[in-house]
Amino acid sequence: MIPTILRRLAFSALTVWAVVTATFVIFSVLPEDPARAVAGAQARPADVARIREQLGLNKPVLARYALYMKNLVRFGSAPADEDPAQTLRLGPIRVDLGVSYLKRRPVVELLGKALPPTLFLGLCSLMVEVGFGALAGVIAAARRHTPFDWGVVAITLIGISAPTFLTGLLLQHLFARELMLFPIDGYGTTAPEKLRAVVLPALTLGLFGAAYYARLVRDEMITLLKQDHVRTARAKGLSERAVLLKHTLRNALLPLVTVVGLSMGTVIGGAIVTEKIFRWPGIGALSVDAVFERDGPVVMGVVILASLAVVGANLLVDLSYALLDPRTRRQ
Amino acid sequence: MRSTRTRIELVLPPILLCVALGCRSSVAGPIGERREVPPQRGGTLHAATYVNVRSLDPAVAFDVASSALEGLIYDQLMGYDENGKLVPQLAETVDMSSDGKRYVFTLRPRVLFHDGKELTASDVKRSIERSLHHDTPCPVASYYERIVGFAAYHDGKAPELTGVEVAGSRAIAINLSEPDATFLHVMALPIVTPVCESAGRSFQRDFTLRPCGTGPFRVLEYNPNQRIRLERHQGYWRPGRPYLDGVEWQLAVQTFVQRVKFERGELDYMRDFSEADSVLYRSSPAWQGFGEWEQPLNVYGIFMNNELAPFDNVHVRRAVAFAIDPRVVESVYPGHITARHRVIPPTLLDPGSDAIAQSHDLGRALEEMKLAGLAYDPVAGKGGYPKEIPYLAVVDTFAQQAAEIFQQQLAKIGIRIRIELLSFPSYLARSTRRKNALMGYVGWNADYAEPSTFLEPSFASSSILDEESMNAAFFSDRTFDELLKKARRSTDALERDVLYRRAEDRVLEEAPWAVTYSYRYFELWQPYMHGYRPHPVLTQYLRNAYFDLEQRRARTRGDSPSRGALAAFARRGRGAPATTLALSLLGASR
Repeated sequence: MIPTILRRLAFSALTVWAVVTATFVIFSVLPEDPARAVAGAQARPADVARIREQLGLNKPVLARYALYMKNLVRFGSAPADEDPAQTLRLGPIRVDLGVSYLKRRPVVELLGKALPPTLFLGLCSLMVEVGFGALAGVIAAARRHTPFDWGVVAITLIGISAPTFLTGLLLQHLFARELMLFPIDGYGTTAPEKLRAVVLPALTLGLFGAAYYARLVRDEMITLLKQDHVRTARAKGLSERAVLLKHTLRNALLPLVTVVGLSMGTVIGGAIVTEKIFRWPGIGALSVDAVFERDGPVVMGVVILASLAVVGANLLVDLSYALLDPRTRRQ
Repeated sequence: MRSTRTRIELVLPPILLCVALGCRSSVAGPIGERREVPPQRGGTLHAATYVNVRSLDPAVAFDVASSALEGLIYDQLMGYDENGKLVPQLAETVDMSSDGKRYVFTLRPRVLFHDGKELTASDVKRSIERSLHHDTPCPVASYYERIVGFAAYHDGKAPELTGVEVAGSRAIAINLSEPDATFLHVMALPIVTPVCESAGRSFQRDFTLRPCGTGPFRVLEYNPNQRIRLERHQGYWRPGRPYLDGVEWQLAVQTFVQRVKFERGELDYMRDFSEADSVLYRSSPAWQGFGEWEQPLNVYGIFMNNELAPFDNVHVRRAVAFAIDPRVVESVYPGHITARHRVIPPTLLDPGSDAIAQSHDLGRALEEMKLAGLAYDPVAGKGGYPKEIPYLAVVDTFAQQAAEIFQQQLAKIGIRIRIELLSFPSYLARSTRRKNALMGYVGWNADYAEPSTFLEPSFASSSILDEESMNAAFFSDRTFDELLKKARRSTDALERDVLYRRAEDRVLEEAPWAVTYSYRYFELWQPYMHGYRPHPVLTQYLRNAYFDLEQRRARTRGDSPSRGALAAFARRGRGAPATTLALSLLGASR
């Protein structure tokens, strides 16, 4: 088991390095000069040149890449000239993601501020997704070919098809503008305010996911309900509830765990559209601003964080298989 | 029968959905009434912006969103009065030497920073040096290049900016290497505003989180991506000002959300409208008198590369200028787009009654094509320029729509253009590279309120570079350069205006651009807000606003006509029948 984990860890590190390198290269070959984005479209060439020099963008791409990778992860005690605000310390490891070109703040600080709102929103939306999705899927499978089943199929079709910007605007219009039940946007400052503020963005994200999960669980359950062991359970005289919960649902959870696990990884990357619509100060909003403003260090920081999260979630999902399915453990 | 039923089935659900969601094609009315009241103190103004504010550090912030807030937090040596005239602000007097190369600013007495310290001439020098320091990423440092010693100081080769002298505790002298008509205008930019000692001697990245200046408001909270809260600076040098207790500026708010908040009275003032909302508010009788257009300090046009055929021929350029009819573009986006015939906005330079202008004249356009040896017969569709000309435009912008109109207009004189849609970075890279782009969209926003901001970057020979050329038309004209140089050096305002006018006329005659239109914003405020109207020069200059506090209380009493369906139901009383609740919830409450 341990060699497998080590092998997977090494492969994960390689994946993150490849993603980081690819992002760096892509951002370096794009036509726009980040110094121009900082200085403004109308800035004089002399001012742009000075800012380019200050940002270190006058150096060759390879030199910039080498410098970035050198500063990215370092070990041991910090030198005297190192800016502590710019570095994230994880025991003996020091991570320096640089300074935002436009916001002029350390990227670790920007990510540190944006991560909690994103995690909060992500977890709330996952609760909506799994809660609504799994429940609707199980009931629809149990009542196959009934109006409830058709309703679930129809609603999930709409849920999957509707883009989040549309769902978000509709929810804002109905629940914030017309009914005034929830704030129309923003993050709030106190815990109760934050709880109220998260409802609409979590629903926006969650409804899409719930529709997907409902379909997944329903289809999986329908397949399982035709299996021999389920027929045997029924023949034994078990109640339908026991058949569903004990003999079918647990098996149906395996693909659900895979998808939820992978979703948790992507949650860290932020929900770009939803965060923008609801003015949610998370990673998604930060990253979309950074991409449009050609803020390379912030984009790199988000990519590193998101790729670590996705790779980590993949690893955890693989390991969780061993717990849920004894056959995998034996392999 | 079956087809009727099918039609009903198709039409009914969207209608029901629309009713349920409260779809309306009208806007909620204003909150409170407009009464003539004297200025009174109190209240917090709520405003919002669609974009984020990059920074509140005046040394680096030079975008529109930041400048609106800087107008509340900082005062400069120079400012603009309500008519847009340049006047001393923190300076009590400004004396210029006879050769126009030395300015002495005498500071007002008892001007206090937000930290309570008194402003001195040393603070002014320190603040200017901070912004122009080698390590400060100031985007417009070169505007101050005529200050003696600028190059050495900005390059980090001199410890101080020798051209800026402390001539007494309240007197600061600035020496220029040559007379410069733009100097007092660039001294009105927040870039060189006096800042507290906590700002440091060069750029400090934490200063943006706790900015400190001498303006009417001080920063209480700066929460990037969320809001900025300001409170009245109690030690402000103007007695009784500002009237407002504070300002809350919400950041990155979607236009739809801004409208909802404005309807509810959660915003007192609004500028970022969707196109549809802008039309609705402007056409609503209830809102007449509570909104106004900003003066557009920008100009858009079509650049023609003077170094490449066929635009190396002045007759072809003139033909294009005559063929373009910007009134058609104006009709596509009425109100926001206004047709333009000269480069410099009339706010900055009165063109005079006998001014020449580029105007649509198809006959003269065909005549110019003939003079260029490219005669075109519009009836037979023969002649004209034989090759297709690539035209650069930025994708998904109004420039794209305008390009499609220009394509049709130019076809009438035998010029066929092929529109190349590019992202803004790609457009910028292509259009500013020498001998690369033939023609395309071009625009310019005033960086400061002086005519040369429109002439020098876009048309002066000195603005031509092989890469990153600001002069996209690569227009080089000795007569124009001389006129511009004389105007900038002139210390006589009347003479300067005449020279600028002649320089602009020269551009219009030589037609490196076909001037097309300006874009302007519409601003709207609730009736209880007084003391504000769009400033001729400054964006969202809200520092003099005040409230009719009694009328403003209407919004907290719930008198707003748009308080949501549940609130509407609550106002109708608990005894209302169920149908009333249903209608309320279905959005029929208004």
